[in-house]
Amino acid sequence: MVQDWLRRATPVDWFLLALRVAVVAVVGTGFVAGLLHPRYSRAEWFSFLTFGLTIGAIYALIALGYTMVYGILRMVNFAHGDVFMFGAYAACFSLLACNRAGILGPDPALSFVIATTVCIAVSAGVAVLAERIAYRPFRRGRSLAPLISTLGLSFVLEYSARGMFGAQNKAFPSMPAVDGIVSMAGFSVPRAQVVVVAVALLTMVVLTLIVMRTRIGTAMRAVAEDRDAATLMGINVDGVVVFTFALGGALAGIAGLLYGLVFKQISFFMGFFLGVKGFGAAVLGGIGNIPGAMLGGYALGLVESLGPAAFLEGLGVDSPYQLRDAIAYTMLVMVLIFRPRGLLGERLSAARA
Amino acid sequence: MTMNSRCALRRGFAAMGLAATMLSAAAHAETLGPVTDEVGVVKVARGQPILIGALLVLSGPDLSLGVDASRGAEIAFDDHGNKLVGHPIKYLPEDGQCSAEGGQTGATRLASNKQIVGVLGTACSSESRGGAPILWNAGMPQAVTSATAPALTAADRPMGLQGIVRFVYNDINGAAAAVKYAQTVHATKVATMHDGSLYAEELVNAFAKQFKAAGGAIAAAEAISPSDTDLRPVLTRIGTTKPELIFAPIFTGASAYLVRQVKEVPTLASTPVLGTDAVLAPAFLEAAGDAAVGYRLTGVDNDPKLMGVRYGDFLAKYKEKFGEDPIGGFHGNGYDAALAMMTAIEKVAKTEAGGDTYIGRKALRDALMQTEGLDGITGKLTCDKNGDCGSSHFAVFEYASGDPTSFKLGANPKKVFP
Repeated sequence: MVQDWLRRATPVDWFLLALRVAVVAVVGTGFVAGLLHPRYSRAEWFSFLTFGLTIGAIYALIALGYTMVYGILRMVNFAHGDVFMFGAYAACFSLLACNRAGILGPDPALSFVIATTVCIAVSAGVAVLAERIAYRPFRRGRSLAPLISTLGLSFVLEYSARGMFGAQNKAFPSMPAVDGIVSMAGFSVPRAQVVVVAVALLTMVVLTLIVMRTRIGTAMRAVAEDRDAATLMGINVDGVVVFTFALGGALAGIAGLLYGLVFKQISFFMGFFLGVKGFGAAVLGGIGNIPGAMLGGYALGLVESLGPAAFLEGLGVDSPYQLRDAIAYTMLVMVLIFRPRGLLGERLSAARA
Repeated sequence: MTMNSRCALRRGFAAMGLAATMLSAAAHAETLGPVTDEVGVVKVARGQPILIGALLVLSGPDLSLGVDASRGAEIAFDDHGNKLVGHPIKYLPEDGQCSAEGGQTGATRLASNKQIVGVLGTACSSESRGGAPILWNAGMPQAVTSATAPALTAADRPMGLQGIVRFVYNDINGAAAAVKYAQTVHATKVATMHDGSLYAEELVNAFAKQFKAAGGAIAAAEAISPSDTDLRPVLTRIGTTKPELIFAPIFTGASAYLVRQVKEVPTLASTPVLGTDAVLAPAFLEAAGDAAVGYRLTGVDNDPKLMGVRYGDFLAKYKEKFGEDPIGGFHGNGYDAALAMMTAIEKVAKTEAGGDTYIGRKALRDALMQTEGLDGITGKLTCDKNGDCGSSHFAVFEYASGDPTSFKLGANPKKVFP
C-alpha cells in the first residue's frame, strides 16, 4: 500500500504530507513542553478547561444555527450572529424588567424562565423575519443573491440595534443566584459557568430529540437529504425552512442569554465576532452536521482557552494570549488540511456536493 | 502581518509620499496674495468662513474621549465669538473611531477639503498613526486633544507625524504618575497588560522602563486584543506570577470585562487593578456596572482649585450648552487645542484690504509649535521643541458607584491620590 502511494504521489501530495508532519511536530513539541512547563498548577489547568467549555458551549449553540440552515438550504445565513445579539439584548431587558418588578433576587428561577422565553421568542422572531425578508424572495434564483442579502440584513440589524439600544457597551444585569463560586472536586468554579454548561447541554439534548424523534424533525432531515424528493412526498418545504430558521434563532437566543450571564457586557456589534467564531465552529465540525457543530464549538472554545498555555508557552512565545484567535483559526486550517470535510464530515447528500 | 507592522508599512509609504511632496513643495513654494509658504497657502475669500476640522472618536464605546474634547473646542469657539480675523469660524468634526483605520478614513475626508486650515485631535493615538501622515501631507497641522503616545512627538519622529502639536500630556509623564502610585501602595511586583493599540503598548513600555529603574519588577507583561471578551485565561496566567498590582491602560470595552473577570480568577481576586483616563467616562460605568466600584485609574487632576477660576466658568458654560456635566476627562484639552489653533491662525493670517485672508500652512504649524505662555483651561501652555505643550497635574481616581448617571469628576470617580 505504501508502495502504491509512492508510485501515485504527486508533488502536491508530498507537500501536504510534509505540511502535516511539520504541524504534528510543532504542535507536539509545544504541547509536551507546555505540559512539562512548571508554571501552571492543576487548579489553573482546570480553570482553563472550564473557561473553554463555557465559551465553547456558546460557540456550539451559535454554530448549530449556521449548520442547520446550511444543511437544509446550502446557504450561510450571515445575519445569524446578529440574531444572537438580539437574543442577548432581549435577555438583558427582560432581566432588567424582572429586577424592577423585584423578582430577580427572590425568585431567580422564574426570572430565568421569563428571560429564556423572551430571548427565544425575540431571536426566533428575528430569524423568521430574516428568512421572510432576506432569503425567501431569492430562493428560486441560482445565484449568490441570498448570501449577499443576509450580509446586508446583518448590517441592517446591527445598526438598528445601535439606533435602538445605543452605541455604548451595556452592562448585563447580574443575577445574584448565578453569581459566586461553587466548589467542584476541590476546584472552585464560578457558578455562572456551571449554569451555562448545564443549560447548553440540556438545550442540545432537546434539539437532538426534536430533530431525531419528532415529525417536523424527520421532515427537516428529509428536506436536508433531498429537497425535491421531500416535496414529492408531500412535505411542506417552506414550513420546514421557516421552522429551521426559528429553531436556529431560538438556540442563538439562548446563547445570547448565556453569554450575558457569563460576560455581563453586551454591545450592538457583538454578533459579528461571535458569529464568525460560530461559523468557524460549524465548519470545524463539518458544516451541515448537527453533532459536528456541537463538537466544533467545544473544540474551538477549548483550543482558544487551553491553546496558548499548552502550545505557545512551551514554545517560549511572549504574551501568548494575544495570539489566541490566531491559534483558533490556525487550528481550523490545520483540521481542514487533515480532514477537509471537518471533524465529523459534512452531512450533505452526494447529489448536491 | 500584525496591525503595528501594517501601520508602520503604511506610515512608511505615507512618509515617502510626503517626502516627495515636501521636496517638490520646497522647490516650488506657493505664493498666494501676500503670503509665500513652503507647504501651501489657504485663501479665505471675503465673508467666507475659516474652516477648522477635527479628527476625534465620535462613535463606539470610546466616543466620550472625542465628544468631550469636541464640546470643549466648541466652547472655545463660542468664547471667541465664533469669529477669527474677520471671518466666521466653521467647525468640521470627523469620526476617527479610535483606530488606525478610522483615523485614515477620517483624515482622508478632511484632507479632501483643501480649505481646511488646521485640525483638532486626534483623541486616540492610533487615529494619529493612521491619519496624521494624510493630514500633514495635505498641509494641515494637528492640535492634539488626547492622543498621548510618546511616539507622536518623539524627537526622531518620521515626516508624516511632524504636523502634530500636542495639547495634552505625553504618556512618559502618564507612566510616571502610575509608577508613583505603585510606589505609594508599596507594590514591588506589577503585571502589565496592553491591547496592542499604540497608546496602550507605548504606555506599558514606558511604565515598565520607569518602574524597573525605580527598583520594581514586572511580574508579567501580557497582551490581549481589543475585541477579546474572555480575559480569564490571560488573567489566570498573570495570576501564576502573583503580582501585587495589575497596570492595564486599556479601553472601555476590554476594561469592563477586565474588572468583572479579575474577580473570578481565584489567584487575583484581591489584586488591585490600575487603569488610566481611557476609561474616565460614564460609558465605562454603563459597560461595567457595579463591577466598576473600587476600580482605580490615573488621570488628569481636574480639581477646579488647580485649574484656576476660568475652569469654573467653563464648566458652567458646558452644562448650559450641552445640558450635562462633562462626559470625559479631556474637555479642557479640547478647549485649549482650539484656543491654541485660533491664536496661531491670528498670528500668521494676513488679510488684504479687500477682505481676503491668506494663511500659510507651514507658518501655521510653526506658530502652533511656538505656542508660549498661552493661558489655557488646563494651565499655562508652552510647547517644547518637539511639540509637547500639555500642562497637566496627575491624580488617581476611584469609582465609587456603578451608576452611569452618577458620573461626576471628583465625586464618582473620586480623587484618592495624591
